[in-house]
Amino acid sequence: MTYKTMMMAALLSATALGGAQAADPIKIGVVTPLSGTYAGIGQQVKWGLDLATKEVNAAGGIMSRQIELIYEDEEANPPAAVQKADKLFQSNKVDFLTGTVNSASTLAVGQAAERAGKLTATTVSFADPITGDKCSPNVFRVNAKAGQQSAALAAWLAKDKPKAKIFFLGPDYLMGRSTVAAFKEAAEKTGATSLGEVFAPLDSKDYSQYFGQIRAAQPQVLYTSVAGNDTVRLLTQMQEFGLLRNLLVLGASGTVTAQNIAAIGKAANGFATGVGYSAELNTPENKKFVEAFKAAYKTEPDLYGADSYGLIYAYKAAVEKAKTTDTDKVRDALRGLTWSTPQGQKTIRAGDHQAIQTMYVAQVTDGKFKIASEVKGEDAIGPDTCTRF
Amino acid sequence: MSGAIEYFQFVLAPQMLIGLVVGVAVILVALGLTIIFGLLDVINMSHGEFYALGAFIALALASIGLPFWLLLILVPLVMIPIGYVVERGLIQRVFHTSERHVTTLLLTFGLGLVMEDVFRLIWGPNPYRPETPIAGGVDVFGIFVPSYRLFLIVVGAAIISAVALIIYRTRLGAMVRAAAYDRHMAASLGVPVRHVYAGAFACGVALAGLAGVLLAPIYSVFPTMGRDFILMAFTVVIVGGMGSIAGAVIAGLFLTQVQAIVSLYISPVWSDPIVFGIMVAMLMVRPQGLFGRLGHG
Repeated sequence: MTYKTMMMAALLSATALGGAQAADPIKIGVVTPLSGTYAGIGQQVKWGLDLATKEVNAAGGIMSRQIELIYEDEEANPPAAVQKADKLFQSNKVDFLTGTVNSASTLAVGQAAERAGKLTATTVSFADPITGDKCSPNVFRVNAKAGQQSAALAAWLAKDKPKAKIFFLGPDYLMGRSTVAAFKEAAEKTGATSLGEVFAPLDSKDYSQYFGQIRAAQPQVLYTSVAGNDTVRLLTQMQEFGLLRNLLVLGASGTVTAQNIAAIGKAANGFATGVGYSAELNTPENKKFVEAFKAAYKTEPDLYGADSYGLIYAYKAAVEKAKTTDTDKVRDALRGLTWSTPQGQKTIRAGDHQAIQTMYVAQVTDGKFKIASEVKGEDAIGPDTCTRF
Repeated sequence: MSGAIEYFQFVLAPQMLIGLVVGVAVILVALGLTIIFGLLDVINMSHGEFYALGAFIALALASIGLPFWLLLILVPLVMIPIGYVVERGLIQRVFHTSERHVTTLLLTFGLGLVMEDVFRLIWGPNPYRPETPIAGGVDVFGIFVPSYRLFLIVVGAAIISAVALIIYRTRLGAMVRAAAYDRHMAASLGVPVRHVYAGAFACGVALAGLAGVLLAPIYSVFPTMGRDFILMAFTVVIVGGMGSIAGAVIAGLFLTQVQAIVSLYISPVWSDPIVFGIMVAMLMVRPQGLFGRLGHG
């Protein structure tokens, strides 16, 4: 080896080492569905995270370390999600994980995070058990859970249609069953009656086979928690069969979203849901966020985009408070953390790692969501049922 | 007694009618699959993506203002050259080996994956839905049926009959059946076997594309839509007999009726296991299916 190349090698290794000490990026793994029925949701998650990361990095990063996002496709499939999460923890050595959409994936990835001694947060999954009886010290949720959405929606329904007769239709998995159970409980408390329920497999083609049951029950209100393409099929097929006449359709906040509202068309009119976010929110923070989001991605953010965007700022606040990315210290910093998001102030409840936030009822008029009502965070959050920590 | 009649009229009959629409949809997809299998001995794993391709082409053509009725003719016409090129350019290259089943299966499987991702690149992951071309509904013996679903049953039956007529009653069909029965003998008698193969594949995928156009207003259009019908279509082909048109029709109607009626009594989650259970039982008792192969009787 000549003198020159030795010098070069020495210089190179010196810069590489120096880089590792000073400006090593903070790695955040994102396991989210980039394909399959939830690909549209994964897309919003990615846009929200990307936008916040770009802003934080441009402003100097977290403790002058840049954020690096590493994406893996979850395929809305819990075994695949765990495999990808393990890969991110073990080979990419990520400091933090997020992105899971499917509630079963979130729970499974939570266990993977416990094994790896890292933290994960969901910005999408609604299922109550994630921060309830299946809570984990390593899992946080910054979006509103089914219970918060239901409480807001039930309060509005009791005013709009007192003593309503409700039929329930949910997708047959954890999220579907827990959203239906949560809304049923909340609505019955405010005086509504339940007429029946049916659970259809995820990705059902044809919902018309359940229409006989629905017609026979003669409900005034249908509550559904299907999502993505499934909602397009359910609502347009109901319209085709004339079932939407004189029927108020309520749903989970993921049922009708920016991704599928255009495809649903007129069949979406009148649909109401309890949400933690709407692009219509009339606050300066939200207007600024919506403009930046539209400029970057040519479309409006929905709740997934907004909640994912907010997560990066929560993590930033927690790491800066803890002055490290160490799991235990960041966990302590996240507990009780209050930070601002486009949706307003959010606070993470220390007892169950669930974010408390103002809730809204949004209703579709002429193909667009309008805010119909507002419920205070404390009134919608419900009791802490987590007993593990 | 009147209870039984009411039960039939308000519960069972509507359910069976809805099952019939799904049945026609499944048969339309399975028809192309069974022709390709019966004639070429190729298991076309990308058939579902050709179904999606038909729907996406219709979407693109509709966006430049063409009416739905014209698309029903145009889309299959666009699909035929695509299918022809795929057969000559891809399938023929791996067709003449002793491992034909494996190589063509892997090739079409890979093609399906590529097509699905191309749809996503071009149209994005979100669903589209064309407006239902015939709005409203009609009363059939006191059962409300959306007009478009009734139209689908009629048109589906017409397409299925036309395909059966061409295969069993025309000179062209005779050449196809001859090539399926013994391609060397057919070739020596002057049947242009290569073109028959490529043409049959093209017609098979054109049928899938036509199904895509017809079903888009009901099931909406998105990149992974090809997976919707494909398992059911394969089941229909296996139960009906690989390559048999009559078999596809009977198995398609039977299995979708089983699904529709069963979902009245037990959780809908069980309707798929029951249908696939029938397929497994069929494979064990009568592996050739209800009817024999195309060209074999």
